[in-house]
Amino acid sequence: MRAGRDTNRAMFWRILRRLLGANRGRLFVMLLALGAGAAVTAALLNLQVDAKRRLTSEFRVFGPNVVIVPSGALSSSSETLPQSVIDSVSGNVPGGRVTALSALYMVASVSVPGSGKSASAVVAGINPLFLTKGYPSANPNGSLRSSENACVAGVRFAKEVGVEPDTGLVVASGDRQELCRVANLRQTGGPEDNRLEIDLRAAQRLAQLPDRLSMIELIVPGTPAEIQNYIADLQRRIPDAEVRPVRQFTEGQAKIYNRISGLLTATVGIVLVLTALCVMAAMSNVAIERKMDVGLMKAIGGATRRVVRLFLAEAALLGLAGGVIGAALGILLSIVLGKAVFGVAARPRLIVYPVAVGLTILVAILSAFPLRRLASIRPAAVFRGEA
Amino acid sequence: MFLRLVADSFGRRRRHKLLTGAALALGMGVATAALSVALDVGDRLAKEFRSLGANLVVTPKADSLPLEIGGVDYRPVNAGAYLPEADLPKLKTIFWHNNVIAFAPFLEVRAMALPFSREGRKLASSIADVPVVGTWAEHAVPLPEGGEFRTGVAKTNPWWQIDGRWFSEASHECVVGVAFAKENHINISDSLSLTIGDVTVTPTPLTVTGILTSGGPEDASIVVPLSYAQSLARKPGEYRKLYVSALTKPEDAFARKDQKTMTTAELDRWYCTPYISSIALQIQQELPGTDVRVIRRVAEGEGQILTHVEMLLWLVTLAAMLAAALAVGASSAASVIERQNEIGLMKALGAGSGTVGFLLAAEQLLLAFVGGGIGYALGIVLARLLGERIFGAAPEPTLLVFLVVIGLAAIVTLLGSAIPLRRASRIEPAPILRGE
Repeated sequence: MRAGRDTNRAMFWRILRRLLGANRGRLFVMLLALGAGAAVTAALLNLQVDAKRRLTSEFRVFGPNVVIVPSGALSSSSETLPQSVIDSVSGNVPGGRVTALSALYMVASVSVPGSGKSASAVVAGINPLFLTKGYPSANPNGSLRSSENACVAGVRFAKEVGVEPDTGLVVASGDRQELCRVANLRQTGGPEDNRLEIDLRAAQRLAQLPDRLSMIELIVPGTPAEIQNYIADLQRRIPDAEVRPVRQFTEGQAKIYNRISGLLTATVGIVLVLTALCVMAAMSNVAIERKMDVGLMKAIGGATRRVVRLFLAEAALLGLAGGVIGAALGILLSIVLGKAVFGVAARPRLIVYPVAVGLTILVAILSAFPLRRLASIRPAAVFRGEA
Repeated sequence: MFLRLVADSFGRRRRHKLLTGAALALGMGVATAALSVALDVGDRLAKEFRSLGANLVVTPKADSLPLEIGGVDYRPVNAGAYLPEADLPKLKTIFWHNNVIAFAPFLEVRAMALPFSREGRKLASSIADVPVVGTWAEHAVPLPEGGEFRTGVAKTNPWWQIDGRWFSEASHECVVGVAFAKENHINISDSLSLTIGDVTVTPTPLTVTGILTSGGPEDASIVVPLSYAQSLARKPGEYRKLYVSALTKPEDAFARKDQKTMTTAELDRWYCTPYISSIALQIQQELPGTDVRVIRRVAEGEGQILTHVEMLLWLVTLAAMLAAALAVGASSAASVIERQNEIGLMKALGAGSGTVGFLLAAEQLLLAFVGGGIGYALGIVLARLLGERIFGAAPEPTLLVFLVVIGLAAIVTLLGSAIPLRRASRIEPAPILRGE
């Protein structure tokens, strides 16, 4: 009995091998269809997971989306925060790193020693002063040098006072004064255009407010829900100050994020379903050509169930092979695509690989199902060439 | 005879043709859907990005330096320059006037507010030095060519959330910021009387119609119709700042080129492309004495993300088309491989390789056109569903997509059957007919 089963099994695999090897053209075609499907599945799944994450860090370019201001600062801007608040800001969120920008604002008189031009303008002490990445990039005319007496002039301020890169400036408030050298000019279209940005410590000395800040601006990457949680969490940790989303950007980003991720999911979904159906149609087309094989097997006494099982095994094997090769190619493809779009290679997610292979096997087996119909074939009819 | 052979093949092998056709239709459906979405997504997303608000700001050229801290300008009313409101309809006459989707002028003054309850009872003593923002909520701008354009702050700053409703410009109404309302216990349908300087008569109060949450400095101010702020500031028909929201094309390397170094043809091309910089220039030409600046934070972020998302979708489309092409190619290859008997018989009856190839190619092409056509229809339906679900607007079916899809279907089926056909043409009829 046992020996019989072993022979059966050996025979089963032998027939399977022959089936696969019988027609190399057909084998190639089937592997091509399945492999293409698997590659697209793996590439899209991997890219989809990665792109959404990547998108949230893309929103960095909009600049700060959360601000910390002294409580009740809306009606009066003369209140300040202790600088120690910044220690409560955690540097990491699921979406990446939080960038913090602390600022102290005041109105001071700025003059150019050589020309005698002077104006009263908003002077902002900013730390870090030269944050080009992630903050509205301007026209960085001039070199970016970070030193304590460097400053950044807004374009309208520069025009008003007659400032060019490398001009020396005297910033005075009361009887205190600080010297600085303009490192670059910038145009943002926002209030930054009208002011002079100097080092935070210099501003604190000028305003006689050591270790005080007007506000902290944060760039928090993440999905809308993650940002909400971050704000709530931060507010709990610093009860004395007010943590507020910059609604213009948080709301806009939430809307855009939902749209884009919905679009991506839907496109990927449709493409995957249609691709699966397409592969299935192609495979079924090949499968119904197997009348001869089925007829012969039945003629020499193969039970219908056995014959069907044989073909299903063949399909599963093909699916496995196509899936393993195709999904690997697909993941490679998604890495390349990710690099092309976001400049950073998409991180391959291991879960995608078995999912893609599994789906391919499933599609292969499903597309072998027209064979069930062959079970009703009468072998004699096949051999007479009637069917 | 030729046609009869083709018709016979379709009739006899109905099931095969159906499946090959289905594979074709599905594959081309994928291509159509992905292609339609990718073609359309730029425009749709550009509109979506307008929820970030204005991307251009217009200020008087001769203005003094604003002393703005935390969104509040500390200059006195008399300092600085103003712009005439009467020029604003000209914004809709620039070359890209259809891309200007909203604009709102602003005039800020500081006034003393005297709150009254609904019944006319004084709520508190007067509140000094309240920022008052005059703007349009939903203003009808008469257009030079007739008709009107409705615009205002509700469109330029869509994140401003109003509890209640916006004021109507004709009546004495206003909207108060949420922080101001909370601090002074003001509710909807209370009223406020605003004065500047020493006025002996209390002016007609404005009814509060809504509470504004903006997340910005406006939360602590009172928002009134522009005309009211003008009369309060004694600056009739003038405004200080204009925000413009325009649909733009993301800036590319060409847009960043210095306009002074462009040739005339390049300059024309630049001017006639809705880059943010060319729209800014056109606005500056229409509104004399202004300084139009791009709000880089909005515009550049938008450009960068838009470019990336478009690229991503194109790549998805390309991958989908590739997969569809491979599967369809495989399907048509299979349908040729299985027909060696038939080919052998045809050759035995005296058909040349060319004739056989031509016959099979004709069959495949017929299938490609039918399958491609059905696939196109399927893809368009899917793209419509997708567009409507996500953007609330369906992409327009374009001839371009149709041609691309039909062309793709033809090429793929021909390529798919080319290799097996070549092999088939080398078939010796005799062994096949003997059944070997």
